[in-house]
Amino acid sequence: MEPILIILCVVAGGLLASLGAHLLPVGGAPAAMGTATGIATGTVQIMLGAAMTGLFTAASAATFTDSLLLVALSGAIGATVMMCVVMLMANILYTFGCGIVPVSGRVDVDPLTKEPQAPYKTPQTDGHGVPNCVYVSGMLGGFVGGFGGALMYFALLNYADFSAGTAAIGALAIFVPNAIIAAYNIRGTIEGFHDPKFKRLPFAMVTSLVISLLCGIMVVIASYLTVGGTM
Amino acid sequence: MGLIVVLLFAWMLVIAFLAFLACTFEDLESDIGSQSNPNSQVQLAAQIGQVNRFFNKAISGEPLSNAMYCATAGTIAWLLLLKLEPLVPGEEWKAAVLAIPIGVAVAAAINIIFSMSSHCGRTAAQKRFEQPIYLDVLYGHLLPIATHAFMTTFFITCIAYIQCNLGTLSGNPALNHPFALPLLGFIWGITVGAIGSSTGDVHYGAEREFQDRPFGEGKRVVYHGKITRYAGCGVRTQRDIAGFCAKFGGPITGMTFGLIILFENWRSLVGMQLGGYLPNLAASAGNSAVTWAIVMGLIIVIALAVVNYVFVRWVRKKCGPFVGV
Repeated sequence: MEPILIILCVVAGGLLASLGAHLLPVGGAPAAMGTATGIATGTVQIMLGAAMTGLFTAASAATFTDSLLLVALSGAIGATVMMCVVMLMANILYTFGCGIVPVSGRVDVDPLTKEPQAPYKTPQTDGHGVPNCVYVSGMLGGFVGGFGGALMYFALLNYADFSAGTAAIGALAIFVPNAIIAAYNIRGTIEGFHDPKFKRLPFAMVTSLVISLLCGIMVVIASYLTVGGTM
Repeated sequence: MGLIVVLLFAWMLVIAFLAFLACTFEDLESDIGSQSNPNSQVQLAAQIGQVNRFFNKAISGEPLSNAMYCATAGTIAWLLLLKLEPLVPGEEWKAAVLAIPIGVAVAAAINIIFSMSSHCGRTAAQKRFEQPIYLDVLYGHLLPIATHAFMTTFFITCIAYIQCNLGTLSGNPALNHPFALPLLGFIWGITVGAIGSSTGDVHYGAEREFQDRPFGEGKRVVYHGKITRYAGCGVRTQRDIAGFCAKFGGPITGMTFGLIILFENWRSLVGMQLGGYLPNLAASAGNSAVTWAIVMGLIIVIALAVVNYVFVRWVRKKCGPFVGV
């Protein structure tokens, strides 16, 4: 067991989870009505869904590689694939099912493709669908969050010597509070890195640091208590 | 018996197809019960004087409730498998045929209990807005909700069972997934709920709940709560919503989950094949297998981003700027 490495990985994973949750385009209930841009569900829900998909692949990868980077990247790519498919399919559903054009409500011009946004927006809404800049932000969010989740899983599995199942539940248990802190910070909806709400990120990072540090210490204690046996 | 790589790929396709079915039914179940995000409108409707005959069940966010059903079904099935498999040595599938449906039936029963108490509790809390509890709405929706939930949980439990026995089914037990059946059920329950909530809700929330509003625009804030309460003939309940959403929202949601499962498993298997890990599970080829899988994943991600870019450009060009008032 390596206490310093465990705490380092858990803190890094927690911070990445919080950062990833801020990058995801979360529209919440208004997005389900086409009243807000982003994915029509809560921050924790979509972050958890993406990270779990990544964790599944990372757990498979961890059975035949010892490289921390490769396992973490496997998780990151898994979560990114999940986000990419969800956002693309949401766009198809908005377009063909509801006749809605993807448009950002927070910026007048797409910061990446320079496409105009304001003329396409329905009045009295905060944007709708998943336009290109929001899509890229969602990809980054999935990547960062998935990386963080898989990093924690690897640390718990190999440094704290937990069994695969316990490591997964442990990584999930550290991941969720960090995503919830992000959800509190976001307060409802966020479009991604270009959203003014993204500037609140430092507050969440400090809180995540404290939570993850505490979680890391708890993991070390749990690992000490089970020395000689697999938890 | 040596590992049969073709069988691995075949099981992967079976899993992807089951995932498609699971998420389709998950979305329809949440639409009939009005769970998740669009339920905010059903709750708001009564508060602004729109008395309605919608089923109002918001047990929790879809990911968590589905994770609960799938983990419950997975745990019971797993316990039964532990007891039944020794009784049929060499023919373990017989144990699964009995254990999985029993586990899933228990999960469906729990869903009925939650749906009933959730609907009654929420509607009773709206007494001050004169929203009655219609008993025919209560009784009429429980069975469709339970049957759809049964299908979802059944397919997810089947996926979990196949994945945690994938190696055994293909000839080499070393390839079984390291997670136990209940944990895999939990993971896919969370994911299926997250997708059903994020993708499937749109067709019910943005279209069906506001079907008397103009097609082709986001639903304005002033419309909120003023849901479509009348059907082509008579007062609308949610039993006819499944039929509507099954034509587009459900299958698209199912395809989302199916594609995710397909891409994830496909890139892992292709990576293992390209890296030289299969068919002999050469430990020295582990790193190159994972690297190839990551490269394949990156290609998929970039391809999806390009498709979305082209799609958004096409839609904006085809539909043009907003012309309403």
